[in-house]
Amino acid sequence: MASHGEVRVYAPDETTARGWSDAAIAEVRRIETKYSRYRDDSVTTAINRAAGGGAISVDAETASLLDFAAELHAQSDGAFDLTSGVLRRAWDFKTGRVPAQTALDQLLPRVGWSKIEWHSPTLRLRAEMEIDFGGIGKEYAADRAAAVIVDVGGLHGLVNLGGDVRVIGPHADGQAWRIAVQDPRGEPGTTIAYLNVPHGAMATSGDYERYFEHEGRRYSHLLDPRTGWPVEHWRSVSVVAPLAIAAGACSTVAMLKPVDDALQFLQAQRVRYLAIDCAGRQYSM
Amino acid sequence: MPTPAKTGSILAAALALPGVVPSAQAQVTVPNATLIQFKYLYYKDYQENNGVTPGSSGDRMTVKSPALYLLAPISDSWVFEIGAVYDNITGASPYYHTVLSGASGEGVEDKRLAGDITVTKYFGRTAVSVRGAYSTEDDYRSIAGGFTLRHATPDQNTTFTIGIGYSSDDVFPQDGPVFTRTKNTLDGIAGITQVLSRNDVGQVNLYYANQSGYLTDPYKAIYGVDQRPDSRDQFALLVRWNHYFQSLNATLRSSYRYYHDDWEVDANTFTAEWGQELPEGFTLTPSARYTTQSAAFFYYDPVYDATLGAPFPPGYATNPNAFYTSDQRLSAFGGITLGVKLAKVFAEGWSVDGKAEYYEQRGDWRIGGDGSPGLQAFKAQLYQVGVNKKF
Amino acid sequence: MKRLIAVASALAFSVLLIGCETVQPWQKGNLAKPDMAFGPDPLQTRFEEHTYFSKEGASGGMNVGGGGCGCN
Repeated sequence: MASHGEVRVYAPDETTARGWSDAAIAEVRRIETKYSRYRDDSVTTAINRAAGGGAISVDAETASLLDFAAELHAQSDGAFDLTSGVLRRAWDFKTGRVPAQTALDQLLPRVGWSKIEWHSPTLRLRAEMEIDFGGIGKEYAADRAAAVIVDVGGLHGLVNLGGDVRVIGPHADGQAWRIAVQDPRGEPGTTIAYLNVPHGAMATSGDYERYFEHEGRRYSHLLDPRTGWPVEHWRSVSVVAPLAIAAGACSTVAMLKPVDDALQFLQAQRVRYLAIDCAGRQYSM
Repeated sequence: MPTPAKTGSILAAALALPGVVPSAQAQVTVPNATLIQFKYLYYKDYQENNGVTPGSSGDRMTVKSPALYLLAPISDSWVFEIGAVYDNITGASPYYHTVLSGASGEGVEDKRLAGDITVTKYFGRTAVSVRGAYSTEDDYRSIAGGFTLRHATPDQNTTFTIGIGYSSDDVFPQDGPVFTRTKNTLDGIAGITQVLSRNDVGQVNLYYANQSGYLTDPYKAIYGVDQRPDSRDQFALLVRWNHYFQSLNATLRSSYRYYHDDWEVDANTFTAEWGQELPEGFTLTPSARYTTQSAAFFYYDPVYDATLGAPFPPGYATNPNAFYTSDQRLSAFGGITLGVKLAKVFAEGWSVDGKAEYYEQRGDWRIGGDGSPGLQAFKAQLYQVGVNKKF
Repeated sequence: MKRLIAVASALAFSVLLIGCETVQPWQKGNLAKPDMAFGPDPLQTRFEEHTYFSKEGASGGMNVGGGGCGCN
């Protein structure tokens, strides 16, 4: 999950605060270890190794995440797809080369949630297909870390994993957390707006997190799994929803939709949002 | 053509993930932790004197009880609960009214061992529990079972509960003529638990029980006069309410129970507990209880027949087969309990707690009618210490 | 008397069901506190129920199938 994370809690005393944040961080680490595609012993690696072979059985937690991913795939007309990870092989963000269409054409057959057989709790991947929980893992970890603190009595604080924030409760004096929205075209750390979040979560998808520019066009890491090409409708979409995983899913899906469709979608989801389109125009609710 | 998004559909899908929202109390969801409790009760009741000699000891029963409880989710839909208690009972008990057995050198010594198992299976928002209980002591044995169904609405804000239970008890007193009699109890409960706000949850339970068989206290029948009907119909309406005071970090748990039976015992019972969170993991909980009860229709005051003397009620000779009891528990009184509990939570799910309570019954304290005269005030002290582990 | 109990019960049940706001799952943080359970300490509840059952004329209302004892 290689990004900055922090837990902030208000607690009756320092020992308790430390205990709570340690428990929350332990939960984040547990999820990171379990779903990291870089680890040999992770669930993700086990699933991907079995691709092309027989069906494998997954545990209850993984099954519920896969069910969620399936639901999201259906609700987003395929824009949200856990199998889209292989496309990153065509895109080299270090050297900044635009791939040939043929390179993408070779990878696209290996992408597509509808091509896998998922009948809880057994999963069967076709050969050369891959699952990657990167699209929901961080947000899920934020929600779980917050739940751990709430379960032991924490009422005020937040969990911030690389910009995806799940609020446990407002500041001790009842004030909402003021969460900064990164300026998509500014230096890292520059703010374009603040959102007040007393409860719930805020997640942002942006085309500035990983990208390169070539001949005046920006190519970001947010790829449309149906075409293999990066999205271009939005610079960033920030969503406030009761759960981080819901906020993250909404922002990811909205990023992949043209402006009107995306706004309609966000309104139907009844979430607050701040969306900045490719020309820098802001839309908010 | 894009799929029209159902309102709030992503959030709905996200809420289906287990463990992302707090597991509130009063929900029908599998508990997410195993709990083991050990608790020790020291109980002692007494009155002013033995009812015969002024200045004598009024000590009545002393009970020392270690008890265990285990709650264990076995899988994602099965939960086991086991309880066990071992009562060590010694002391004196009234023969009639507040005249103690100790006055004539007779005391009580008994041990009671009881255990119960409850198995619960969860089907989504519905839980089915089956319970079996067994209790054995020198002169009494009870075998009981119960079946309870709980069902929650989709938002888990309302839970409906119904339950039915049956108990078959054998009574075989160790004093007097040898006999074994049975007492059977059939009971049922129906209730609703409702989340009222972020900080409030309420519960209303309607309870009915029918007891039949030998309902008399055998020792009072031998040493006093005690002849009770062979059936008893009981009703209770219990209302409970828990409120969390966010700004005070405290919880108020309160309840009211109305009770009525066909022995004409009517009781109104109020309880309140204030759980105050303190720094360093401490919680201090003062508690109070008040109950007021009417006497059973066959209870007679400590006024005895002119000819036969104590323990016989006036006119007993002309009506020897009527119902009579001198049992203080079936008299009219008001009872007050005051208690305080201190608990501390440690790391790794350990916690310890200690509670001290004082309980007194007096005829004078009855509200809603006259208290039964002529009885010594019943007094009791209860002390509990416990250690718990959650994991 | 039975009618009085029936009416009082019906009233209590309906007040409970009507007078409330819908609380969303993510708003149930306070309701999740152990102290907000009815009977947060199972053994304490058992001891106290048993004591009052043994020393008073009234009982019941919380559970079924509890079994009896010869408690004096």
